[in-house]
Amino acid sequence: MILLEPHNVIIQTTLSEKITKPASVDVQFVDYDGVRFHLSTPERKSVLLLSMHIRCWDELVQYGAIDVLRREYGALLQPQPEPEYSVSLEIDLEQLPASPEDRDAFVMSIALFKRNALAAPFEHAFASQKGLESAATGSGELMQIHYRDEEAIYIQASHDRVTVIFSTVFRDETDRIYGKVFLQEFVDARRQPSIQNAPQVLYSNRDPPLEIRHLPDLRNTEDTGYVTFVLFPRHFGNATVASGTISHIQLFRDYLHYHIKCSKAYMHSRMRHRVAEFQKVLNRAKTEVATGEKKTVSGRTLVTR
Amino acid sequence: MSVLAPIICDNGTGYSKVGFAGNSDPSFVFPTAIATRGSASQSSNAPAVPSKPGHLASKRGVEDLDFFIGDEALANAKTPGYGVYYPIRQGMIDNWDHMERYWEQTIFKYLRAEPEDHYFLLTEPPLNAPENREQTAEIFFESFNIKGLYIAVQAVLALAASWSSNRVTDRTLTGTVIDSGDGVTHVIPCAEGYVIGSAIKHIPIAGRDISQFVLNLMRERGEMTAVPPEDQLRVASKVKESYSYVCQDIVKEFRKYDADPYTYFQRYDGEHSVTGRKYSVDVGYERFLAPEIFFNPEILSSDFLTPLPEVVDETIRQSPIDVRRGLYKNIVLSGGSTMFQHFGQRLKRDLKQIVDRRLDDLATASGSSQKSSGVEVEVISHKRQRYAVWFGGSLLASLPEFYTSCHTKAQYDEIGPSICRRYQIFGSAT
Repeated sequence: MILLEPHNVIIQTTLSEKITKPASVDVQFVDYDGVRFHLSTPERKSVLLLSMHIRCWDELVQYGAIDVLRREYGALLQPQPEPEYSVSLEIDLEQLPASPEDRDAFVMSIALFKRNALAAPFEHAFASQKGLESAATGSGELMQIHYRDEEAIYIQASHDRVTVIFSTVFRDETDRIYGKVFLQEFVDARRQPSIQNAPQVLYSNRDPPLEIRHLPDLRNTEDTGYVTFVLFPRHFGNATVASGTISHIQLFRDYLHYHIKCSKAYMHSRMRHRVAEFQKVLNRAKTEVATGEKKTVSGRTLVTR
Repeated sequence: MSVLAPIICDNGTGYSKVGFAGNSDPSFVFPTAIATRGSASQSSNAPAVPSKPGHLASKRGVEDLDFFIGDEALANAKTPGYGVYYPIRQGMIDNWDHMERYWEQTIFKYLRAEPEDHYFLLTEPPLNAPENREQTAEIFFESFNIKGLYIAVQAVLALAASWSSNRVTDRTLTGTVIDSGDGVTHVIPCAEGYVIGSAIKHIPIAGRDISQFVLNLMRERGEMTAVPPEDQLRVASKVKESYSYVCQDIVKEFRKYDADPYTYFQRYDGEHSVTGRKYSVDVGYERFLAPEIFFNPEILSSDFLTPLPEVVDETIRQSPIDVRRGLYKNIVLSGGSTMFQHFGQRLKRDLKQIVDRRLDDLATASGSSQKSSGVEVEVISHKRQRYAVWFGGSLLASLPEFYTSCHTKAQYDEIGPSICRRYQIFGSAT
């Protein structure tokens, strides 16, 4: 598994299960970046209520999340979310598409709930880039999404590009080093001919990029890193490419941390292997205990029975 | 809920149960299996070495990310190049490389949680070596940077799960746990949250043997002729799960079946997994004979002859004298193979008989007119028995004391893996 999947597996499996066999349910679970879900059947077994709590919901609403969700889910979107949660969907199991393919597609679209909510600012930026293109100058509003306690995504549209900046905090010293190597490798890898068309990636440690340097509440410590993606119109020209770009880019932080952990796991497995090999060498170096004949003082041979 | 729910991870030999604290059922139950690219070309099973340095991204492959876990692993078992491995043997972790990657994918692909934001509750079998706990702690704290870790003994969690039963009035962690899964059955006495290791007993009869026994019975009666050979074991385990119950008296039960076969014999309808051909088989005596092998093991084989109630009695009598009353009073069932109807009642009755008989013998032997007030025997079965260990974990991890009992990342960094050698019992009311 190289890429993380954009959909939530728990929603997908639970929903498919409940479609075949409706039963009352009440589960709470999470997704990346502190998103909390609550799936329950408050009234009847056939009506599921899926609620989501996102830390940066207010910011997302400001950038049009409600419109995006309404476009994706239509009437499923509840006007009043469940208390303690940001947004709720009501899924009536008796009013589902009939054919199995449509059902799978429906379940998948529900499983992409978080992705769709977070897609709003990106779509907003892509649209405003289109608007600015004719002017051939100027730049759009700098959108800030504080999706984690100390980390944020900054999105800005210009007349020829959309810049996405991630700030990320490494809580662990080792992680910071891994992250640095990893991100520098990103920059280098782009030189390969096969991925020339990939968005440009810039990485800076500690110093924020120029686009966001004027912001007041930036952390300026050693453990902060900034990753800048520059998206050109070819990355979001048509709708499929744009939605793929959004799915990938919004999971970037989790992708990075996932791979740091995978690298560590790989290192550990190499280390274990090495230790096992060394142990073999050590065992070979053991001197054999000489088992010669033992004689008593009087010259008789001792026989062990 | 300002803190995200702790993650409960119960990795068993056969199946892993993972999910979030506060829920009543695990979010995922899948086989503890990992399918990796087999290192058939390499003679050793060493992980692949990156080739020449330079741009790592261009040179190095991603073999270490090319693997599947759980159901996907089994689905890919036939794919050329992949081999399926079971990283846990007899409850203990056998292959740490595989286990580390297994956890990695459990967390990132299935739970979709950032481990840095979560506390974890893991389980371990009784008599697990402290070195194993240290290894586990190393993986979780150093690879995954988790916030906090608590490693609990499975038997203790099973006791905690029994608090959900309405028959339990005081939340105690003293009791005898009968844990019967697919491979083996354990009888584990616990005193105030600590396992009495010297008195643990194993019974080589568990789910797999019962399914096999059902299969043999049905074959002998000629029911299985209609069933395709590759489905037979599956049908047998389905029959075991859906129709079996524990009877109070074998002879009476046989008589009942013979007098009125139409009410007691049932029909199981199946479908061939490939061709879709329908078949149906009669389910008869195996309904009550299957679980009977716990109480009369001689009907299965002559290798093991001690009935379960006697083993439980033996276990309790080997425990320290001051906890025996508590152990008799709180016998808790856990695991799928204890799910048979009336299993608890039968166990209680048989055990009570053994205990009472011993007390009577004692009274006659001593010749005194004083009589013991008797020993209270209670077997507790509850609704969450199947995933009792996981449920107990979910229950304990939603208590506020959980966070103070955990070893945190800061403590780990200060002291090192040896921190996991000691742990704190919490949650019981006494």
